[in-house]
Amino acid sequence: MNELIEREEVSKIASFNSIDVFSIKTEKFKTNAIHIFFNDNLSEENVTKNALVPAVLRRGTENHPTFKDLALYLEQLYGASFDCGVVKKGEQQIINFYIEYISDRFVQKDENISEKAVDLLIEILTRPVLENGLFKPAYVEQEKENLKDRIEGRINDKVQYAVERCLEELCKGEPYELYEYGKVEHLPNITPEELYRRYIYIIETLPMRVFISGDSSDGVIEGIVNKLKQFPRGEIKKVEIPKAKKQPEAIREITDRMNVNQGKLSLGFRTNIMADDDNYYALAVYNGILGGGIHSKLFQNVREKASLAYYAFSRLDKFKGLMVISSGIEIANKNKAIDIIREQMEDIKKGNITDYEFDSTLKSFETTLKSIADSHTGMVDFYLSQVLYSTGDTPASFINKIKSVKKEDVIRVSNMIEPGVVYFLTSME
Amino acid sequence: MDIRIIEYKNLNEKIYVYEHKSGLSAFVVPKKGYSKKFATYATNYGSVNSEFIIPGENNITRVPEGIAHFLEHKLFDQEDGSIMDKFSELGADPNAYTGFNQTVYLFSCTDRFNENFNLLLRFVQNPYLTDESIEKERGIIGQEIKMYQDHPDWRVFFNYLGALYHNMPVKIDIAGTIESISKIDKKTLLTCYNTFYHPSNMIILVVGDVDPDDIFNKVESSIKTKESRSEIKRIFPQEPETVNEKYVELSMPVSTPQFQMGFKDKAGFRGKALLEREVAVDMLLEMIVGKSSELYDSLYNEGLINSTFSFDYMIEEDYAHSIIGGESKDPIKVRDRIAAQIENIKAKGLDRSVFERIKRSKYGRFLRQLNSVENISYFFISVYFKGAYVFDYAQIYDKITFEYVNEVFNDHFDLEKLALSVVKPV
Repeated sequence: MNELIEREEVSKIASFNSIDVFSIKTEKFKTNAIHIFFNDNLSEENVTKNALVPAVLRRGTENHPTFKDLALYLEQLYGASFDCGVVKKGEQQIINFYIEYISDRFVQKDENISEKAVDLLIEILTRPVLENGLFKPAYVEQEKENLKDRIEGRINDKVQYAVERCLEELCKGEPYELYEYGKVEHLPNITPEELYRRYIYIIETLPMRVFISGDSSDGVIEGIVNKLKQFPRGEIKKVEIPKAKKQPEAIREITDRMNVNQGKLSLGFRTNIMADDDNYYALAVYNGILGGGIHSKLFQNVREKASLAYYAFSRLDKFKGLMVISSGIEIANKNKAIDIIREQMEDIKKGNITDYEFDSTLKSFETTLKSIADSHTGMVDFYLSQVLYSTGDTPASFINKIKSVKKEDVIRVSNMIEPGVVYFLTSME
Repeated sequence: MDIRIIEYKNLNEKIYVYEHKSGLSAFVVPKKGYSKKFATYATNYGSVNSEFIIPGENNITRVPEGIAHFLEHKLFDQEDGSIMDKFSELGADPNAYTGFNQTVYLFSCTDRFNENFNLLLRFVQNPYLTDESIEKERGIIGQEIKMYQDHPDWRVFFNYLGALYHNMPVKIDIAGTIESISKIDKKTLLTCYNTFYHPSNMIILVVGDVDPDDIFNKVESSIKTKESRSEIKRIFPQEPETVNEKYVELSMPVSTPQFQMGFKDKAGFRGKALLEREVAVDMLLEMIVGKSSELYDSLYNEGLINSTFSFDYMIEEDYAHSIIGGESKDPIKVRDRIAAQIENIKAKGLDRSVFERIKRSKYGRFLRQLNSVENISYFFISVYFKGAYVFDYAQIYDKITFEYVNEVFNDHFDLEKLALSVVKPV
């Protein structure tokens, strides 16, 4: 096994007040990073507010009360980068904050960039600029407007939009259908007061994970941990991971029309296999063979052989047990493309998997997982997923499990996949 | 074997250089501790090179637009099947991209580097073109072109270039058009291959935890061509200094207007002088419209820009321009405010303390880029063909003066050379 991965494993260095602190030590980067995550159940009630809170927090703090002041201070810290936002992992909404700053090795000793960067991140989270004890109404209004733009802007990237719309339709009526940045219709009713309450709730109540990565000394890390201990925490919410399997439903055809040049076809499936399921590794291999790269059946047949598309892929959501297949095609070729895609899935069921397809898939996983250690975000995102869904893998153990998958396992899981939605984004009549 | 080492002590980086007798240059940037190894084989040939004089000939050769990109797709075909498959079997991730000025073939892997590297060296030197496979590729590239036609940011970008340039081929889509690619055949592809894929027009670069001697030995034994060749004459049309159009717009299914605007700049820089100008304009953009500027603050507070707002400066030997863009409810107002702020700064002068702060910030962000083997490869190639090394930026940041930046400010931000491109909702 690659020793580098073993060396750069994460270790949990502290746990208090439902704040788990992890450290990833490495000297190969020129920067250090701190990531802070809060996770919540994805819910109609809170999704938009959870997205709006970080957007308002990044506007200013007590010491740096405007966006401009913050930007200016980051520039002084040798162009430290700060950002925040939300992502969706399965039916959890993750609110994230990070700061990345150059290692003290590259600046004068007395600059103390790390300490200033850590203090800034904590200040953004705990001491936002306030007006009469609440968020500034002007900031809230502006960020509501920006959030509206972001939500409405989903249609701009048609490739991504066709994938998300398909999965949304597949999960109609479940929390998963919610977009991570929420809904425009929620925005008018969110007041500065209500948003501030939501902020306090997030900080005090949601489970919190902190990842410190880079070359910080033990002393610096201990300093960070001590600062985190001053976080105001209350009783912690238990975030549930829904497990219930959905009963199969009839396949639904959904068509959206826009003024587009190319049709975007997306097929949505329920795999009913989650990340912590023993079958998950076989499913991951199944997906790799079907549409996970240039060696895959979709790429080879939809693109290379039939010359129907530039892109054709399949992708899993392992936290919800879903799969989506997507391809951009000539509008008239819709049925032809669907036939070829179904043929590929049938082929796997029949066991028509070449050694090339199978071996390339395993190797592709190995390369991807080993490369995780080459960036802060690669490592942090991998370990966050492990922690959130209690899967407990390291990149190395994940590779081993993938390598132990047999063709029979792939055929077995191929029969568990249920089609749900055929989505087509096409031109106006 | 003659290997040269260029050391950048402040950055803790080194470049190993080896010149092959064919004129090909090979480079290794060792990155200790990284799992991923990144190898690239690049030619100084991109979408803008559709007119040229082949070494040894006198007449100008003209080829259809989009041919460099088409050739990039076709090179992966080999007599014994697609080379992509062979990379996949070895667990590598092969890729290629065509830019305005370069075509780059690459792979990344964590294991079995040597076998993968052999594949890269082999396929780029061995075009295998058949009429049937060219026909098939036309369908695939046709869908690629249509996909980009539905991308508003792509459309707003090329419309912007079309507004800036009267004749410069940079205004034409890298992949060409459905019409232009219909004219591409085996003969034209081979003409371009034989002209631009001569080793003297190419470089090889490996970034990662590798041994430079091994790499160079491999290069030495694998490059088939042994002789150097005279230079290719690249023909560019006469380009007036003025912009082609000050304003262009297009309607598309988007949620809110998207815009790109900026200034057409003079060309003709190379090497460190080019990098210095690039750094200067970059810093100026940051000073004028960056997140810590007065202007950004007021545009953001008034809801005229949002977090999609960004800017960049593109400089090549033959053309250069700045790009400022994002979403806005009123792009014309944004343009006018930026123009007014430039007038304002021209009257009262730039602030030296802001210059110092931005310089420090840009340096830190440059260092951050060097965390990633992908980024190093990408910037190395692009900077090398402009006559410098990616690590030279450190020296530029160190030496650049307020006086020089002032000079560039007066030169670049000429309101007569400002163009705006807008994509509006239907």
